[in-house]
Amino acid sequence: MARGRFHQASPLPGFGLTLGFTTFFLSAVVLLPLAALVVRASGIPLTDLFDILLDERAIASYRLSFGAAFLAAGINVVFGFIVAWSLVRYDFPGRRLLDAMIDLPFALPTAVSGIALATVFSPNGWLGLKLAEAGVQVAYTWVGVVVALVLIGLPFVVRSVQPALIEVRRDLEDAAESLGAGGWHVFRRIILPTVLPALSTGFTLAFARGIGEYGSVVFISGNLPFKTEITPLLIVIKLEQYDYDGAAALGFFMLAMSFVMLLAINLVQGWGQRRLGLAGAR
Amino acid sequence: MSIALDQVTKRYQDLSVVNDVSLAIEQGEFLVLLGPSGSGKSTLLRAIAGLVEIDHGRIALHGRDVSGVSARDRGVGFVFQHYALFRHMSVADNVEFALRVRRMRAADRRERRNELLRLVALEGLEDRLPGQLSGGQQQRVAVARALAHRPEVLLLDEPFGALDAKIREELRRTIRQIQRDLGITTILVTHDQDEAFAMADRIGVMHQGRLLEVGAPAELYARPATRFVATFLGAANLLLAYRSPNELRFERPADGRLAPREVVAVIRPEEIILADDEAPEDMTRVGRGVVEELQFAGATARIRIRMPAGGPVPATPDRVTEDGSWMLDALRTFPQQRTEPLAVGQPVEVAARRMHLLPTPISSFTVVAPDEAAAAQLAGTPLLATIATRMQCRINRRIGSDGTPPPGLPVLAARPGAAAEAQGYLQRGATQLLVLPGSATPPARIVILPGTRSRAAALAVSASLLRHFPAQSVLLAVHDPATSERDRGACLRQLLDVRSAALAEHGLDLRTEIRFGSVDEELDRELAVDPNTMLVLGLDSLDGGALIGIARLLEGAGARPVMFVRTAVADR
Repeated sequence: MARGRFHQASPLPGFGLTLGFTTFFLSAVVLLPLAALVVRASGIPLTDLFDILLDERAIASYRLSFGAAFLAAGINVVFGFIVAWSLVRYDFPGRRLLDAMIDLPFALPTAVSGIALATVFSPNGWLGLKLAEAGVQVAYTWVGVVVALVLIGLPFVVRSVQPALIEVRRDLEDAAESLGAGGWHVFRRIILPTVLPALSTGFTLAFARGIGEYGSVVFISGNLPFKTEITPLLIVIKLEQYDYDGAAALGFFMLAMSFVMLLAINLVQGWGQRRLGLAGAR
Repeated sequence: MSIALDQVTKRYQDLSVVNDVSLAIEQGEFLVLLGPSGSGKSTLLRAIAGLVEIDHGRIALHGRDVSGVSARDRGVGFVFQHYALFRHMSVADNVEFALRVRRMRAADRRERRNELLRLVALEGLEDRLPGQLSGGQQQRVAVARALAHRPEVLLLDEPFGALDAKIREELRRTIRQIQRDLGITTILVTHDQDEAFAMADRIGVMHQGRLLEVGAPAELYARPATRFVATFLGAANLLLAYRSPNELRFERPADGRLAPREVVAVIRPEEIILADDEAPEDMTRVGRGVVEELQFAGATARIRIRMPAGGPVPATPDRVTEDGSWMLDALRTFPQQRTEPLAVGQPVEVAARRMHLLPTPISSFTVVAPDEAAAAQLAGTPLLATIATRMQCRINRRIGSDGTPPPGLPVLAARPGAAAEAQGYLQRGATQLLVLPGSATPPARIVILPGTRSRAAALAVSASLLRHFPAQSVLLAVHDPATSERDRGACLRQLLDVRSAALAEHGLDLRTEIRFGSVDEELDRELAVDPNTMLVLGLDSLDGGALIGIARLLEGAGARPVMFVRTAVADR
């Protein structure tokens, strides 16, 4: 029985083999490097560690990194959903082309997207010029960071939501409509609950990617300490100054924070699904 | 009248998936729409629910025209094949969905929900999620949900398709029971004839977007009007038979005599009597065959009998083997088979206890050509090949001609001299005749000029054709341009009368065109609308050069497919 709990009956052999490989692979590629980071950081005296982590410049960078990533992921959830919706639901000329373009931010070297964004949004760029006239400055402010992260995170949301939207059978909407529900009602009560798990997965992926993003941000952010400096950049700066302790400490902190936040998001997701699932049990 | 459909048409691109369907359903009636997949039955059902927009026609529910009303405001209950339950909601929430949308008070909602769950025998499962229920239970929930808002019409789209046989049977009963109790007008769509027989007050058979026939199950089974319904609704042997004033025979008459009328006889397998030596006297003899196959099927035994070439012929081409012999289906009860056992290979005498003659005006086609190659080419004309396949009609061949019309419907190639040849056959007794240009394809449009005395026959032939391919049909009337204003009104009324007669008698919906001018010119104008047009021409008289006048349509480069129809002289 105890074995049966883990061992899903399957016509394919190799439970032992696949689990073994999974463990090995995770250890070699993910766990070991991270462990090395932890080990390196744990060698730092505790007082030094706190000094590094609670440095004002570092705290400002955390705020920007996590805040911008969160905001960008939030924006992506809304727009990614709309993009996925139009790709799944409508057939228009160029749909396949657009569909393929969604993946470009995945493929493009992040530095290239960063430079491109900086060019467009810089005060004398195409869009930057217009925005500057309207009194909005994007490049070299935190807004620029968010814009970069939106670009990087969009495919994560679109690609998570797309299959879920395809899964929402036309039947369900037809059923709701024949029962008298209007468009908004159908969206809120039927479509949204069905794609919510996929949407939150997309959010998590985009958020996680946003925290760690470096290449595309540094070109548009202007990298002003206390203002537009993200934590990954701070780590690189410390490395360039041969401050390995500082870099390791910050890296360790980001690792811990990311882990805690992703765990929290996952827990909220699970709770939300259970709650939604039992929503009728009143 | 609970549901009234008038000329409902739905097209996807150029294909009519629902084609000119008109139907009236009474309050409390249980109608089953039966048809093979792709026949348009589900699309029609969705159109009634408002889930599909129609391109032409009107839909009325309880006298209210709902053609432009959205699905949410039509107030129908719809049950889907794959249940379409909201998986993130409990059974209770699913059932209450329509009530919640209508902002009903919670207490009333709960009461109604309990009432519905009692109706479908699912009390106590309120809190389950759909995923925790069996398929049959899920479909019960779907039925309860569809009934929650007290719809006046219940529509079920293959509701048992995904269930296994036993649950299907049980659910059939439940739904029929509920339907009777509530007296709710119901349409159920299925491709399963057993289901249709078991549940329907009336069955409507759909094929290629058309509603072919509507009637009580027993009536449709005993007296189908079309080959398709005869063969789709239960098994049937379709044989060509020859009727002269006092007898009906299955043997094909020798060429040269004035042909008796060729008809199509439907013989159900259970009406076939098999005897060792001589068939009982009061039965119609079919012929002598050999038992080819015996299949045990519980209460009955299915028997296939090989009928040799040279005897009676089937009306459908598909059962004929290369040597000309063909298979006849028979059915015997188990006790019968036990007392007088038959064995494979045994020769038997075949007779029919009861048969039904199809009222279809076209029994078979006979291409008439001077040589084999021309005959093969004519038989392979896309239009003829398509019609014959769709109608399940044989195409016979006759090489050379002795001037007498062949049995069945003669088909001539459009070429110089065709008009005179056609006239000859029609004068000698052929009641219909088709002249085809070599490249004729199935027409997109059929123009009907029905004549006066030949009107009924022309409409019957048109209806028969139009049942088998989707074409726009135009009923044309041409009158003298000197007709006075007052008489013109009468002409129009007359035309509309013909149209409603066509609708009532054949379920045939026609657009009408009335013209005042020369027949030739107006006909040419009408045929010029679409090059792919076929003409159905009713002939009132064959005097002089009746056909020579339209020889241009039969002989030149502008030849069109033309079907001539005239009233039979002798046998009606």
